[in-house]
Amino acid sequence: MVNGYTASSLKEALTILAETNAVPYAGGTDLMLENRPGVKYLFLKKIPELRSITADERYIRIGAAVTFTEALASPLVPPLMKEAVSHIAAPAIRNAGTFGGNIGNGSDKADTVVVEFAADAKARIVSKEKERIADIDKVFLSRKHLGLSDGELIAEILLPRKGLERYAYTKVGGRQSQAVSFVSFAGVFGLENGRITNAAAAFGAAGDAVQRYRDIEKSLIGKTPDEAKKVKADYLRAYEERILVNQSRVGPEYQRIVCLNLLNDFLSRFGV
Amino acid sequence: MDKISHSVMKKDHAPKVSGRSVYVSDYPPEGVLCGKMLRSTVARARILDVDAPPLPDGYFYVDARDVPEENAVEIVLYDTPVFCRETVEYIGEPIAMLCGPDEKTVERLRDECRVRYEQLEPVLDPNRAQETFFEYKFGHGDVEKAFAEADKIFDETFETGYHEHAYLETQGMMAEPEENGRMFVHGSAQNAYYIHDAVKRVLGCGDGGVHALQDVTGGGFGGKEEYPSILGCQVAVAAHKCGKPVRCVLDRREDMQCTSKRHPSVCCYRAAVKDGRVTALDVDVLFNAGAYSTLSGLVLQRAVFMAEGVYSIPHIRVHGRAVKTNTTPCGAYRGFGAPQVFFAVETLMNHIARDLGVDPLVFKAAHLARQGDLTATCGRYHFPIPLPAMIEKIDRACGYRKKAVSYGQPQSGRYRRGIGLSLCSHGGGLNGATENELTKSVVRLHKNADGTVEVLAANGEIGQGLRTTFPKIVAETLGLPLDKVFYDHPDTARVPNSGPTAGSRSILIAGELLRRAAVKLREQWADGQEQEVEEHYHDPDFLIPFDMEKMEGDAYPAYSWSVSVIELEVDTLTGISKVLGAYGIFDVGTPIDRNIVMGQMEGGFLQGIGFASMEKMAYDRNGFIRNNNFADYLIPTAKDVPNLKTMLHVESYPFGPYGAKGAGELPLVGAPAAYLAAMEQALGGRPLHHVPFTAEDTILALAKEER
Repeated sequence: MVNGYTASSLKEALTILAETNAVPYAGGTDLMLENRPGVKYLFLKKIPELRSITADERYIRIGAAVTFTEALASPLVPPLMKEAVSHIAAPAIRNAGTFGGNIGNGSDKADTVVVEFAADAKARIVSKEKERIADIDKVFLSRKHLGLSDGELIAEILLPRKGLERYAYTKVGGRQSQAVSFVSFAGVFGLENGRITNAAAAFGAAGDAVQRYRDIEKSLIGKTPDEAKKVKADYLRAYEERILVNQSRVGPEYQRIVCLNLLNDFLSRFGV
Repeated sequence: MDKISHSVMKKDHAPKVSGRSVYVSDYPPEGVLCGKMLRSTVARARILDVDAPPLPDGYFYVDARDVPEENAVEIVLYDTPVFCRETVEYIGEPIAMLCGPDEKTVERLRDECRVRYEQLEPVLDPNRAQETFFEYKFGHGDVEKAFAEADKIFDETFETGYHEHAYLETQGMMAEPEENGRMFVHGSAQNAYYIHDAVKRVLGCGDGGVHALQDVTGGGFGGKEEYPSILGCQVAVAAHKCGKPVRCVLDRREDMQCTSKRHPSVCCYRAAVKDGRVTALDVDVLFNAGAYSTLSGLVLQRAVFMAEGVYSIPHIRVHGRAVKTNTTPCGAYRGFGAPQVFFAVETLMNHIARDLGVDPLVFKAAHLARQGDLTATCGRYHFPIPLPAMIEKIDRACGYRKKAVSYGQPQSGRYRRGIGLSLCSHGGGLNGATENELTKSVVRLHKNADGTVEVLAANGEIGQGLRTTFPKIVAETLGLPLDKVFYDHPDTARVPNSGPTAGSRSILIAGELLRRAAVKLREQWADGQEQEVEEHYHDPDFLIPFDMEKMEGDAYPAYSWSVSVIELEVDTLTGISKVLGAYGIFDVGTPIDRNIVMGQMEGGFLQGIGFASMEKMAYDRNGFIRNNNFADYLIPTAKDVPNLKTMLHVESYPFGPYGAKGAGELPLVGAPAAYLAAMEQALGGRPLHHVPFTAEDTILALAKEER
């Protein structure tokens, strides 16, 4: 049987987390994969502070224990994120799985994390003593590595309110539902006064990492789409050299080609 | 539609959907020892010794030394050991079973066993196999002459991979020593008599010393044809040693890694073409059998018998081999060798037609076998072959011809479409002379004094509906309401041997025997009396007896027919293919229950599409199957082929019950060739040669094209 603690407020949860080695439990959809004997869980489902989707001037704030199904029903959640969420697993999993859990279990194949990378999302991290806001790439470091200290909990995911209107998202999996991604791609494009302000491109699942290369993105910033077209070949070549690939469910050659195809398609959509 | 075809609620519907059915895992654990297998971690080695931890009271270590009689499981040959002999021959081979009351303790004890191996060089490549388990050669006509006179010779090699059954319930068996000294073996299985015979031999106890029961079984697809004999012997030996009931249920990884699958194949086809027609075929079939022979000989027989496809080629030579490698033994799987050769011959015919500049369907139609023609084994197609009519029906249903022309134009852009069609047949019943000379099926009907009738037969309900369709045949013949006739899971202590649940034979062979038994019972029906009638199989008179030495004669009494069409769309950026439509028309004779048959057709077709597209399984250079779970071995879901349309064409068979023929395997057989043909068209017409053809294959093929 699963042993654990049920907290009814964030304060209570953080106290338990500080005093025990309980594992935060936010959905439990990975229990079948990773049901470690002897582990005590801290159940987060009943904590109101983690269950809401709100908006302030700059951010859409999604509570860490908000489920994917709830996000799909919310008018606040941006279409890019909804598109990614709508392809996660199947309805039963989406009813249980959460945004915090998707980051917290440290999978490079997590479908919302690649969107968060492309969207320059942040996470609000809380502990008994303090709270902080961190960029997503400082929270999700690599497969099974999180930038969290003992006693810290992901409380909210912060997505920018503006700038996510032009996007591309593709999940590539072995079948139409219930599939772990072979490769996933999220891109966010920005254009102001005819010049490119953003060309964020994030890749998930390839090479066991979530990848984003801001230095390569910079080569397009400030250019008009026509100017960018001229450097596109170099830009794609730079990605080809940098993208990490490996042998997993699909081979490295496949991962590289598909990542570049999706990247190329993303830019083409916006005239580059 | 015939009256008997009207669908009824399945007799096991309510207990199954309500969860009341008792599967082998569901028997209470009290007094039952849990068995866990200690398995080889290397592909080939001599076992030097096994260092087992001290065993607490009530815990047992069971291995080959505990086998009372011969350490050999009867399947076809006797090479499969109950527990390994001096050597292990594949990763996962059982070395011993640890038994005890507490599962976790048994697992710990098993994990603490240290096996010392002297590693031997394994054979993993079937092309380099040193041992051939089975080899068959036959043919007719003058193949050499036809090739010498050919305008053009085609020489192509086709490959297929493993195919995992993915039944819902993993393998599980239980053995219980009874007070009278008998061993009672039961569990998830297709053939209670196979288990009965295998256990009898291993325990050396004679027919009266054992009985076997098929428990409610959560799917088989052929995977529970021979494997339960092995597991049944293992639990029986353990129960014999421990003096207590022992149950062993495999976990999913164990099941996927260590139990039988469809044989990977390499089929080399040479075809001689003269004046636009195929005049000769020279076929070489190679099956990777794995480490033990199990059913490979029979699977290979069906493959070579069907190597000509649905065509009549004047000169044909067929050679087949099933070879040993140090990998998981392969076995029966829906289609039983036929999907591999139909994939090859159908794809070859497409390639030849395209090369000759002829429409593949027109080319195939010109070569179709007709009633009275010779089969590859010099038998005859005794009954009408309805494929031409079926082709017209499917064309009307899905617009095949029009789409084939349209998608055949050069395509550019991200999404590209293709449509493919295949023609198949499936012979009902066991191969060649097996039914008449070896199996000799017997069925009985037992009438109770209250007028209810029990079917006594050995065929197992594995989701294909036998608990309903057998009683339907009997009730219809006797003029009884269906609720007066029932069929329980077979127990060899009670039922005669009506042969295995295999080869699309249960309705065709046992069902017809039941019909005849019911006629007999009807003639001698006496109200208020207990009565029993029995019926024995003999070949129908029209059949040309099969000579196993020459491989000549009627390999099967009757053939079922299919036309399968698959239409798909390839995303050239990701390689992902979406099946836009899968259309199948199937002639299985009279459906004994329309819903049940349609369920079979849909399920089998989808299973075949999985085999063709996403179900990729392979072993690594150590002989280890890595993707032994459902996250890494994907099977299609309903969302993958939402537009799945199946139809029936009824060419009733006068020697089958109410005109029925074999049904279970047919729908799978045509899917791989239809899928690949669609893929070839979407990718611009280049010839492809293997399944599964995955997203990865698609992307690599497109990349090759660009280079």
